[in-house]
Amino acid sequence: MIIEARSVSVRYRRSRPLALTQVSCAVQPGEMVAVVGPNGSGKTTLLRALLGLVPLEEGSALVDGRPVASWSRRQLAQTIGVVGQQEETVFPLSVAETVMLGRYAYLGALGAPGERDRAAVQTALERCDIADLAQRPVDSLSGGEWKRVRVARALAQEPRALVLDEPTASLDVRHEMELFELVSELVRDGLGGLVITHHLNLAARFAQRILLLDGGSVVATGTPSEVLTRETLSRVFEWPVAVTNLSDGSPQVVPLRSSKETL
Amino acid sequence: MTVRLLALSVLVLGCLVIGLIAGSVPLPLSDVWNGLLHGTGAGAAIVRDVRAPRVVLAFLVGGSLGICGAALQAMIRNPLAEPYLLGLSSGAGLGAVIAIASRAAGPWAVPLAAFLGALAAVALVYRLSLVSGRRLDPHVLLLSGVVVGAFAGALMSAIMVLSDAPGVRNAFLWLLGGFGAASWQALAVFTVYATIPVAILFYHARSLDLIALGDETAQHLGAEVHRVRRVVYLSTALLTAASVATCGIVGFVGLVVPHAVRTSFRPLHRSLLPLVFVAGGCFLVLADVVSRTAVRPLELPVGVVTALVGVPLFALLLRRTLA
Amino acid sequence: MGCTMVFSHRSPPIPRLRMGGPIFSLYRRRSNRSNLLSTIIVGLGLIGCERGAPPRGELRAVDDARDTVRLQAPARRVVSLIPAATELLFAIGAGSSVVGRTQYCDYPPAAQAVANLGDGIRPSIEAVLAQRPDLVVLYNSGQNAAVAGRLGELGIPHLRINTDALSDVPRVSRLLGLLTGHSHGADSVIAVFDTALAHATVTPGARRPKVLLLVWEQPPMTIGRGSFLSELIERAGGENLFADVTTSSGVVSIEAVASRNPDLILTTTEGPAAFATRPEWQVVPAVKRRRFLRVSGSEFNRPSPRAPSAIRELAQRMRDLTR
Repeated sequence: MIIEARSVSVRYRRSRPLALTQVSCAVQPGEMVAVVGPNGSGKTTLLRALLGLVPLEEGSALVDGRPVASWSRRQLAQTIGVVGQQEETVFPLSVAETVMLGRYAYLGALGAPGERDRAAVQTALERCDIADLAQRPVDSLSGGEWKRVRVARALAQEPRALVLDEPTASLDVRHEMELFELVSELVRDGLGGLVITHHLNLAARFAQRILLLDGGSVVATGTPSEVLTRETLSRVFEWPVAVTNLSDGSPQVVPLRSSKETL
Repeated sequence: MTVRLLALSVLVLGCLVIGLIAGSVPLPLSDVWNGLLHGTGAGAAIVRDVRAPRVVLAFLVGGSLGICGAALQAMIRNPLAEPYLLGLSSGAGLGAVIAIASRAAGPWAVPLAAFLGALAAVALVYRLSLVSGRRLDPHVLLLSGVVVGAFAGALMSAIMVLSDAPGVRNAFLWLLGGFGAASWQALAVFTVYATIPVAILFYHARSLDLIALGDETAQHLGAEVHRVRRVVYLSTALLTAASVATCGIVGFVGLVVPHAVRTSFRPLHRSLLPLVFVAGGCFLVLADVVSRTAVRPLELPVGVVTALVGVPLFALLLRRTLA
Repeated sequence: MGCTMVFSHRSPPIPRLRMGGPIFSLYRRRSNRSNLLSTIIVGLGLIGCERGAPPRGELRAVDDARDTVRLQAPARRVVSLIPAATELLFAIGAGSSVVGRTQYCDYPPAAQAVANLGDGIRPSIEAVLAQRPDLVVLYNSGQNAAVAGRLGELGIPHLRINTDALSDVPRVSRLLGLLTGHSHGADSVIAVFDTALAHATVTPGARRPKVLLLVWEQPPMTIGRGSFLSELIERAGGENLFADVTTSSGVVSIEAVASRNPDLILTTTEGPAAFATRPEWQVVPAVKRRRFLRVSGSEFNRPSPRAPSAIRELAQRMRDLTR
C-alpha cells in the first residue's frame, strides 16, 4: 500500500461543514484507482489530504505505512509524482529543463545534474513520447503535449506512485486515450496510480478500482462493474443514465436525454 | 561556457574602466592607472578615494537590486515585480524625512533611518498578509505593499509640508538616488552586510524555479515552499533596504535587468541570478557615469537616469517579447 | 529652508544693476548731478515737505511682475510677505505701518510684535485679509501669481517684487518709500547703504580665495553665481567655486569639488553640519585642514541694509582662515 487514507475527515474552516467525511482509500503498486464523483464532491480535497497538504480533522493519511506528516517534502517527491490540475507558466522553460525540475527532490538546492539525473530525464521523455520536443519552449506546445511534459516530469522523480488530478481536461479524444494508455502502461510496470477524473467511461476501461464520492462521503468502492450501476449513478449525478457493457466487460455510461429515453 | 565567462568578464571590466575614466572631471587612462596603482599623478586622490569605491559600490548595488528583482518576480510569479513593491521605497522615504525633520544628528542618521523605515514597512506588509490568513500569498503581498506604500508616502508628504526643519524638502533629493556618499568605508559596510542575503538568494535559485510554477506544484516537486518564501522575502527585504540606505531609491534596475536577461537567455535561476547580478551591476555603473557627466559639474540623481533609460529599454523589451 | 532658500538662491537676470521703469529714472538721474545741486534740492525738499504728509495725487508704481500699483494715499496698513521687505520697511521708517509679516521675518526685533501670518509663499488669504491691509507686498514667484490675482479681485493693492540681489536694496527701498510716504527715509537708507557697500567691498588681491558654498550635504548641493550669498562672497574678495553653474542651486559630486580644490568651505547654520566627518569628504584638502566658514544670521540669506556688515565679516573671516 503506497498511498492510503483511513477514515479521513477534512474541514476547511471551522464554521463550514466537512469537506470529506470518513473517506478511506488505498492505492497499491500495479493498480490504478480512479476517483470519480460530481463537482464539489471532494475529489481534490482527498488528493490534498493524501499528500498532507491540508490538516485532517480525523483519520490518518499514510504513505508507505507511515503518516504523511512525518515525511519531508523531498522524501514525498521521491515517492509520489503528482500532476496537478493547472500550473502557471509565467517564465517558460524548455521541455528538457522542465522535466529536469522533477529531479529537484534528488538534487536539492546546490547539486549539479549528474548521469543518473540525465538518464532519468531521458527515460521519462521517451516513455512519454516527447523526446523530439526536448528543446522546445513549453509555451509553444499544444495542450496534449504540455500534459505529457508534466507527466514526464513526474516520472523523472522516479516515483513509486503517480497521482493525476483531472488529466484529460481540455484534451481531445486522441490525447485523452494516449494519456490513459500511458498511465495504464506505467501502472502495469509497477507504479501505483491514482487518477481523479470526471470521465467515467475512461475510468471504467482503464482503472482496476473506482471510488465514487458524493458530498464528501464514499458512495461506492470496488471494480468498475460494481460501482457504475444505473441506480447509483442516476442518484449521485442527479441525471438519468444508462449503462451498457463493452466486449471486454467494462461498463460504459450513457447519459439519457430524458428519463423516458431508453437505449 | 568559458567563452561566455570571458565575454562577461570583458563586459564587467569595460564598464568599470569607463566608470573610472568618466566623471565630472574626465581623466585619461594613464592617470587612472597611475592613480590606482601608484597613487601618483594628477587626480590620484580622486580616482582612488572617490571614484574607485563609487564605481565598485554602484556595481554591487546594481547587482543586488537586480537579483532582488529577479527573486521577487519568481516568488510573486509576475514579471513586473521589482524590489520596491513591498512598500520599501515609501518606508525608506518616510524614515529619511523623519530623520531630517527631527534634526537627527550625525552624518549617518539619514541612511540609518531610511534603512529602518524600509524594514518597518516590510514588517507591516508581512503583518498585514498574516491578517488575511494567507501568509506571504503573492496577491495579498502585492496589495499590502501598495497600501503600506501609499500610507507611508502620505505620511511623508504631510511631514514635508508641515515641518519647518531646514532642508526637509531636500529629503526628496536624497531619495531620488545618488552615489555621492560613496567611500571605501561605505563600500565595506555594504559588502559585509550584503554578502549573506546575496548568498542566500543564490542558494535558493533552484527553489525559485519551482516556486515560479505555483505553490502546490512546487510542493509536489519537493520544495518546502513556506520556508523558502520566508527566507527569500526576508533576504530581498534586507538587501533592498541596505541599497536604499546606501544610495536612495534607484528604480528600474530590479525590473528591467531581470526582464532583459530572461527574454534574451530564458535561463533557469541558477544561471539567471549570476547573469542578472552582472548585468545589473554594469547597468548601474553606466547609469552613474551618465549622472556624473550629463550636466557637468552638477550631478543628476541616478534614480532619474535609470528611469529615463529604463523606460525606453522596457518598451523595447516589450516589443521584442510580443513580436 | 523653504522660505529662505527661495529668497537667497534665485539668480536675477544679468546685468546685476537693474534700471527700474520710467517712473524711477527721475530718481536715478540725481546721482549724476553734482553734490552741491543735490544738497540744495534735498534741502528744499526737506523744507517744503513735512515728513509723512500725504503727497497730492495718486501714487503709482510698476512692480517686478509688470503690474501697476495705484494708491490714492500712502499705505498705512502694509502686509509684508517678504522678510527682506519687512526689514526695509522698518529701516525706512515705515515700521509702524506694518500690520502683518511672515514667520521668517526675524529682523529687526521690533518686527516680532507684528502679527505673524505664516508662510510668505502661497500665504493664507484669510490671514492676510484679517489685517485689513491697504498694500500687500509679495515675493515675485510663479507660486504667488494666483495669490496676486485673488488680491486683485478683492481690490487690494499688491506689489510683487524680487528681493534676490544687492541691487534690490536701493531699488525696493525707493519703491516702498514712495508707496508708504517715507521717501526721505528711503533716500537716507539708500545713501547709507551705497556708502557702506562701497567701503565694505574688497578690492580683490592677487589671488582670490575659492569658496565652496555648501548649502546641503545629503546630497551635496551648492549655489551658483548670481545668488545672493555668492554676491556677498565676491564682494568680500572671494570667488564662488562653482561660478560656472548658472542654475541657482544644484547637486555636485565630491570629485568635482576635490578637483577644483576650494580654499574654504562656507556653510550657513541651516545647512550641513556633520559632513566633515564623512569619509568621502576627506579627499578635499580644505576638509582635512578644517577650513570651515560657518555663518549664521539672516543677513546672509537675504539682501538688506545689513549686507555691508555681512560682507565685512566675511572678508575678515576669510582673511583669518587663509592666513
